[in-house]
Amino acid sequence: MPLFNFFLVESTAKNQPIDDSMAVEDTVKEDKTQVSVSMENSNYAIYVEGITKTYSNGLVANNNVTFGVLKGEVHALLGENGAGKTTLMKILSGCLSPDTGSIFVDGKKVHIDDAMKAVKLGIGMVHQHLSLIPSFTVTENVALSIPLPGRLKLDIIREKIIAVSKNLGLEIDPDTKIEQLPVGLRQRVEIIRLLCQDVNILVLDEPTSVLTPLEVDELFRIVRGLKEKGKSVIIITHKVKEALVVSDRITIMRLGKVVRTLNASNTNERELASLVVEGFVPSTNGTKGQAGEPALIVKGLNVKGNSGRLAVKGVDFLVRSGEILGIAGVAGNGQKELVEALTGLRKTESGTSIMKCCNLANRPPQFIIKKGVSYITEDKMKRGVILNLSISDNLALKCIEQEPYSKNMIVNQRNVDSRAQDLIKRFDIKASDPCANVSSLSGGNIQKLMVARELSNGSILIIAEQPTAGLDVKASEAIHTKLLELRAKGVAVLLFSADLDEIVKLSDRIAVMYDGRIVGEFISGSLDMQRLAKMMLGSTT
Amino acid sequence: MEQETQAQTQTSASPAPAPTPSSATAPDPAQPLSRGILSRSRLRSIYKAAISILLALVVTSVLFIITGANPLVAYYYMFYGAFGNTNFLIETLVRMSPILLVSLGLGIAFKCKVWNIGAEGQLYIGAFLGAETAIFFGNSPLALPASIVLAILGGMGWAAIPALMKTQLGINEVITTFLMNFVAIDLVTWFVSYPFRSTTADFPQSATIPASAMLPILIPHTRFHLGIAIALLAALPLVYFLMAKTTFGYKLRVVGENPEAAKYGGINVKKTIFLALIISGALAGLAGLFEVEGIQFSVMTSLSPGYGYTGIAVALLGGNNPIGILLSSFFLAGIYNGSVNVSIQLGQPSGIVSFIQGVLIIFVLGSEYIMRFLERKGVFKR
Repeated sequence: MPLFNFFLVESTAKNQPIDDSMAVEDTVKEDKTQVSVSMENSNYAIYVEGITKTYSNGLVANNNVTFGVLKGEVHALLGENGAGKTTLMKILSGCLSPDTGSIFVDGKKVHIDDAMKAVKLGIGMVHQHLSLIPSFTVTENVALSIPLPGRLKLDIIREKIIAVSKNLGLEIDPDTKIEQLPVGLRQRVEIIRLLCQDVNILVLDEPTSVLTPLEVDELFRIVRGLKEKGKSVIIITHKVKEALVVSDRITIMRLGKVVRTLNASNTNERELASLVVEGFVPSTNGTKGQAGEPALIVKGLNVKGNSGRLAVKGVDFLVRSGEILGIAGVAGNGQKELVEALTGLRKTESGTSIMKCCNLANRPPQFIIKKGVSYITEDKMKRGVILNLSISDNLALKCIEQEPYSKNMIVNQRNVDSRAQDLIKRFDIKASDPCANVSSLSGGNIQKLMVARELSNGSILIIAEQPTAGLDVKASEAIHTKLLELRAKGVAVLLFSADLDEIVKLSDRIAVMYDGRIVGEFISGSLDMQRLAKMMLGSTT
Repeated sequence: MEQETQAQTQTSASPAPAPTPSSATAPDPAQPLSRGILSRSRLRSIYKAAISILLALVVTSVLFIITGANPLVAYYYMFYGAFGNTNFLIETLVRMSPILLVSLGLGIAFKCKVWNIGAEGQLYIGAFLGAETAIFFGNSPLALPASIVLAILGGMGWAAIPALMKTQLGINEVITTFLMNFVAIDLVTWFVSYPFRSTTADFPQSATIPASAMLPILIPHTRFHLGIAIALLAALPLVYFLMAKTTFGYKLRVVGENPEAAKYGGINVKKTIFLALIISGALAGLAGLFEVEGIQFSVMTSLSPGYGYTGIAVALLGGNNPIGILLSSFFLAGIYNGSVNVSIQLGQPSGIVSFIQGVLIIFVLGSEYIMRFLERKGVFKR
């Protein structure tokens, strides 16, 4: 489905008249060599020069970065995980301070000490992990970031929200609570919140990573609307297609440096991909595994959700060893509860989940892990890693009690560290040192770390929830290859993904989940995408 | 990226699910790990502790000025009273031993983010149970070991009650452990006032423990008893080892930092919390017993001047690290004895100890923010 949508989006993009700001492009194409004369700077909404940022663990996240965003343009910042995109934008929005370098806003040199200062200068950022208070209404959330002297005047803010949203055609009910809104609308609230603070430059960090294809289209419509109103929008992304579709200019970053800035109209997907990842070769589908004995048989599983109602309603399925079973479905149809029940993190009401004659239902996680079940979780920040512990310790999470990592309760730190170093290399985690805290890694590298841990412990069943969330092409490819490799070795894989392309690419069989039930199953060879998409939305025909 | 060349020789061999033990036991000598003694993060926590102490002393000088004393003179007397000569130094060590034992235990609990505020009560129960055991055994060689075992069990048992309430019923341990202090102290007071009261003493206190249970003095003409050596040479290394080198220490860290991830990773969170709490109770009980068997020789109602609470400040100041705890308990013991000297020499109120402790806790709790502020202002490099 995402594939189809991209074509749709692309065609609409081409119908758009080419913006006149393109004319300015040629004069400013070679950003790096340009000296910042104030005359030329004034074309830029924001211009940074020679920004270098080294983290306390020695990681050079930005290395002499120079780049500028024109007034009224959509500028994509493209690069793989850990290329330094987010660091650069956090510097612009005042969340981090650079070691060296200068920032010019409207041609004037400025110092951005904190986020409030950035907003005053007209720079606002929507972070990858949204920062709204779920139990507050839209108005209350917006009010949080607009300091008004004296009494809280919610009415004024409410009116402002309505005015801003009307002006841009962003429909939102200011009195809804955030928790009742889908992710796409929450993001919209963040954008509105920034607009209510009269921000001129909006930075969106990986805005599409949490969105469904339809929501992505909607977001891009909003972004174009913002541009028409003269705002500059910077979109951080690792998806080449998206950068091409939505932006006017694209700056590519690699390993903390700016590689090039290009006009979106003068380039293509191939060129961009080769700039983002040096020597990237997309792999083909791996060798087919030989489906063997059933590894996991689930029968009549009933699981309650947080609300106390049944979220999983009598689910039956089986996964064979050497097979990937993809579970397709729109998020919130019981997948999360199903996975938690299978991994022992949630109680099951009734039903069995049998692995080698042993019922795993209602067993504690440690028992299920020992039986050989790995789990790549979707909630990597909340559950998958311990941010304030070292990379080594995080990678040891599930094997610390096994030899050679510990014996008679005594940890062998050398073995733990060398395993970490080994995994860092094998999974290409960009980390300076296995003793560095995980919190110093970028989001994509945290994902790689978790995947590395879960795929390297010799399990017989891997439950993978969004295994490539937030990863760039190359890293996703590496993880896909790894999963296919394990399948060939006779490992059973249960794959949950919001990315239908991923499910179609990897799975041998695809089951569709809707409203807590498995409503249909497909063999990957004879796949009817239309029917699959309909089933995901609950249509039975 | 120079690392990669060396890497290939090691990793290319097997894409097996788990690295084989042989490859795992051969670390790269060319890649120094930042697991040194003075890593950046450790240096940072030392700065943090130093800043909190400094700020606490500055605020205390205001108190001195208000009460009409010259803060510099006061601090001189404080320093002299704590470390001025060998006798004072040994007395400071005597003072340090119960604080050290309590705060080592609390360090374990706090590492796991279990806020045991009940060390004071655990200390009283342990001391009472141990002392009565010694009295029961009389003048036999068994009296000392038996009393130590019972003191440990007593502290553990008292801590097990809030631990079970926490793990089985989900009741916040801060409230239960804190309130159980009053229960424990009043219970021991009642015991030594009525059923176990000494027949010879004027004040309510237990019978004197038998000579065989008294901890031998290691340095003649001082009060430096065996318990201090046990705290320094046995308890401290043991706790260090437990926290830094064992799977239990690993679990403590994981549960403390992210219980959700611990559960996901197959760690029994409830068991870890339970163990952390009762181990801290055991050490508090031992601290109480050593006070009785090394210093006071019978259980009095004024057994502890609040070591259970001082331990909280010490554990926090020491960053829940055994070495940090050793230094900060020595420091706080110095303040204890030093302020006694200040109040004698300058006629200052003796409550200074509590005051400094209170201010210290505030600054320790706030030190992370103070540190970040200083880093933002460029005083320290981030």
